[in-house]
Amino acid sequence: MTEPALAQAPTLRQLFTGLLQVALSSFGGGLSVWSQRIIVEQRRWMSNDAFLTGLTVARLLPGPNQINLAVYVGATFHGLRGALVALAGILFIPFSLLMGLGLVYFQLRGLPLVDRVLAGMVAVAAGLALSMGFKILPTYKADPVALLLAAAVFIAMQGFHVRLVPLLLVVSPLAMLWYWPRNVEETKP
Amino acid sequence: MMLGGPELGQRVLSAVSTCHPVRLTDIGQLLKVMGTFLGLSLFSVGGGNTLLTEYHHLSVDQFCWLTTNQFNDLYALAEAAPGPSSMLVGLLGMGAAWREGPLWAVLTGVMAEVAVLLPSTLLVVVVCLSWNRFRHSPWRLAFERAMGPITLGVLFAVGVKILLLSDTNPAGLVVSLLVCALVLRTRISPLWMMAVAGLLGGLGIIHR
Repeated sequence: MTEPALAQAPTLRQLFTGLLQVALSSFGGGLSVWSQRIIVEQRRWMSNDAFLTGLTVARLLPGPNQINLAVYVGATFHGLRGALVALAGILFIPFSLLMGLGLVYFQLRGLPLVDRVLAGMVAVAAGLALSMGFKILPTYKADPVALLLAAAVFIAMQGFHVRLVPLLLVVSPLAMLWYWPRNVEETKP
Repeated sequence: MMLGGPELGQRVLSAVSTCHPVRLTDIGQLLKVMGTFLGLSLFSVGGGNTLLTEYHHLSVDQFCWLTTNQFNDLYALAEAAPGPSSMLVGLLGMGAAWREGPLWAVLTGVMAEVAVLLPSTLLVVVVCLSWNRFRHSPWRLAFERAMGPITLGVLFAVGVKILLLSDTNPAGLVVSLLVCALVLRTRISPLWMMAVAGLLGGLGIIHR
């Protein structure tokens, strides 16, 4: 399959509207699918390969994946300015909406009915939080060391109430040492 | 203070009696709060939801901006609203400054969100502009392999902690476990589950 030719690099304004469109399109969910559809297929800013590299970087680095991806796309074309414009584009509408929702919540939280409805929603949110670990568990099923490491982290946090930051500062270097590529071949493309 | 263990119960008790809400119109305090979120940003491995229990610790135990119930409410709102649920930080900032009035609350919400996004954003820019150097570096490979399992452990701990904080009665627990199973096994949108559970809550079937 040959890919269609790329369009011209987006201007800052196009970057902003493009990511605004990504945010709007994904209101029902599926942010990553929409990013690809709009950035690669509709606007043809990037090849699919370049986009997938961006996704790899976005997942690798700290920060929310989809926001990191927007930042990556912006930085590709206009460096730091592009990154900030892309960030504004992807966050402007959802964040404004959420702030509006927050204002309504803090005004109305004293009402018994609001409190009861939220009690139901909280139970769902807790279920979503619980599902996060299970979602990525299959990736590590065949790796006993990974499972042992995960179990140690879980026990430290849940059993001994170790805070995340000191935990990561101690465990990450040890884990990196263990997973350090042992032969040169591994680091080649 | 890092390790809880046996003295945890005592600590919770003393926290209740000694925790005074931080006044955020005091600019020094606002900077301190922003500094805290700035510092957390680079530890949001594997997405952002790994920081959930840290957010709870900060906004409920350390700064007493919110009660646990309010924290749970805000997390549920962030999950229900469109967009990344990591925008929860904006709501926490808003809650922190609510007693100073809506305008200051919104400003603080925006500043908190900016603080938590800025460091990770700058890091993405740096890596994006020099990816070819990072790409085949052993550091990158080791980091990628190491963070996966750590994220797995953190996410399970966060999930269990949030579950324990949220569900104080059997009905809520059943709903949470059901939602967890449905999310993993079906493609039903969590928004539908939110709607149904909201209704059940309104009818008094799920309560806290």
